[in-house]
Amino acid sequence: MVAALEDPTAGHVTIGDMPPSDLARRHRLGVAFQDHALLPWLTVRKNIELPFRIANRPVDDRYVDHLLDLVGLSDFDRARPKQLSGGMRQRASIARALVLQPDVLLLDEPFGALDQVTRRHLNIELQRIWSESKITTVLITHSVDEALFLSDRVVVLSGRPGRIVKVVPVPFGRPRTPTVMRDAVFHQLSDDLTESLEGYVGTAEA
Amino acid sequence: MTKPSRLASTVYGLVGLSLFIGIWQLVGAYELAGLTWPRFTTVISYLAEPSRWGLFSRALQATLWAMGVGYIVGGIAGFSLAVLSAVFQPLRPMTDTTSAVIHAIPAIAIAPLLIILLGSSVAPAALSALNVFFIMYVSTVAGLSATTPAHRDVFRVLGSSRFQQLCRLELPNALSSIVTGLRLAAPASMIGAIIGEWFGAPRGVGLLIVSAMQNFQIPLLWSAIVLATLTSAAAYGLFGLLERVIHSRFS
Repeated sequence: MVAALEDPTAGHVTIGDMPPSDLARRHRLGVAFQDHALLPWLTVRKNIELPFRIANRPVDDRYVDHLLDLVGLSDFDRARPKQLSGGMRQRASIARALVLQPDVLLLDEPFGALDQVTRRHLNIELQRIWSESKITTVLITHSVDEALFLSDRVVVLSGRPGRIVKVVPVPFGRPRTPTVMRDAVFHQLSDDLTESLEGYVGTAEA
Repeated sequence: MTKPSRLASTVYGLVGLSLFIGIWQLVGAYELAGLTWPRFTTVISYLAEPSRWGLFSRALQATLWAMGVGYIVGGIAGFSLAVLSAVFQPLRPMTDTTSAVIHAIPAIAIAPLLIILLGSSVAPAALSALNVFFIMYVSTVAGLSATTPAHRDVFRVLGSSRFQQLCRLELPNALSSIVTGLRLAAPASMIGAIIGEWFGAPRGVGLLIVSAMQNFQIPLLWSAIVLATLTSAAAYGLFGLLERVIHSRFS
């Protein structure tokens, strides 16, 4: 609904004071899914440039370079998605989501299909990206630790029907390092959230 | 079973072809199928005789011309209609049915009609175009509608217009399927052209086949068939190469 891909059954969603579909039309949303959804016939660079072309804006080469550097793909800008590893594709997909400097970044389990090590690594990189450009981000995740590590506010959703179970503010300051995950408060919150999930699916908002 | 290597498939292919030619030669040599089945070598030497090259090349030129015109006209028509039906979705059932009906008409049944309608010199190209049209329509429609939901979602969230989605997502995505269609359409365009010529075109491989049959010129008949087969196979192989390049680039 936030991505304007589905309509709410009742009520309405506004971002700022605009419906999400207006934001989409003005090219002010960024999105990355579990499926990287890169275009297989384009190079990494061309994939990241795609939002500029859709928005009919001139490509800002320097910003694309900067993002490539940020997600660690500078040396792979001319590779095609199938030549990259899963983690690299996901990073390219996140760079594509960021390239128009959107008002809202929607991350729908972007690390879901990755192994633990890569996932941890990308979590840390995402922190770094946010420290450079503060973008309101809605992150959907099944990982309680990921939610706590990355977000300012965790919204726990129940599965079918999806209802908000609870909203938990996360007290840790930024920038966060993985040492946060060893904090006693982190473990306490993690246990609480896991309990409230009881098999439900979790959503986090950063 | 594992997929045979490229070398192995080439070898198997050649063995199959040699077997085919060998049996052809034997049947001809021992007249197992009567006098109307010449030896393979008889047909090849008939084809290779320089004094007949003029005849063959005139016929082949006419057929290739009809094929080419039919291929281009039918291809553009099929492709355009497919794109049109992708852009205006409500049109889709209509274009689907129309193409299917056109395809359902046997070429041999519509050929006399086309000759009366367009004249015998245009009929081969027209029949060829009809054959190509359907293949290109189906392969383009299939390619255009084969985009993944994730890709479509990305385009929607990024605020893409319908036209941009067509140009930047659906058409590049359809290219593999379109090229496969182009390959399949090559022999189909030849079949159309030959059937068109069959009904009295001024020249062409089809005409050569009919007149050879009616005048009981057995080696000429077989030569014309071999010529048609070689041309068709060459066109198919040429587009097969193009297909390989496109497939490795676009998927």
